Amino acid sequence: MIEVERVDYVRVPVDDIEAAKHFYGEVLGLPRNEHLDHEDWVEYETPNVTLAVMTPESHEYEFTPLPPATIALRVPDVAVAREKLQAAGLEAGETWDSGACRGVGVTDPAGNRILLHRRYAPYDDGTPPSPS
Amino acid sequence: MKVEKVDFVSVLTRDLARAKRFYSETLGLRIESEGESDLEFSLGQVTLDVFDPTSIGQEFEPSPAGIAVRVPDVAAARAELEAKGVEFEGEIVHTSVCDMTFFKDPDGNALILHRRHAPFADGRMP
Repeated sequence: MIEVERVDYVRVPVDDIEAAKHFYGEVLGLPRNEHLDHEDWVEYETPNVTLAVMTPESHEYEFTPLPPATIALRVPDVAVAREKLQAAGLEAGETWDSGACRGVGVTDPAGNRILLHRRYAPYDDGTPPSPS
Repeated sequence: MKVEKVDFVSVLTRDLARAKRFYSETLGLRIESEGESDLEFSLGQVTLDVFDPTSIGQEFEPSPAGIAVRVPDVAAARAELEAKGVEFEGEIVHTSVCDMTFFKDPDGNALILHRRHAPFADGRMP
């Protein structure tokens, strides 16, 4: 059996790298990996997973946006996050509540549908949601 | 905006039983939870959610994200997966900093076997 150790990065395909840098770096406030200086591959670091914002056209495949919720970002408060997205001029979906977690979808400038997410209920075995 | 972490990454499937076999038996991922319309796997530091979108009335779309999973040895892992019938796209790519090879799950979701071998620009090792 192969040994999968962890996720090194998740590609986020975009068609406008400058618009993407504004969204991921300024609106979402993710820190950029300053050790890379590629113009078509910009890495943003969440505490556990690297998001590689990149242009498929310069990497020999065709741009297609991500399906909904490919990436679920944990935020402290989904409603507050939604307000901040709207204040930034972005169109956020309606906030939903599954009974265990809340979420709101937002579409990045390239059309990738990102989920902002927060679980609040304990798991079935009584374990509380993991701290940040 | 404060983003605390990635809670999960997901791929969509049209056949949950087939996806279960692929991620648990072929890739060897541990199942964290199993529901009627989704499966959660441990993918190192993050959860991989495999979800049937038709259960909530959404259409299936394969993901081009190309989740890059770290393996100890890209060539050895590729050979092992090829022996299990997994088809790869092109040869292994050797860059100045990493090895990687591209493939898809049975639903067409893009995946990458990846191993960085060079230190980062600040001298940190991978």
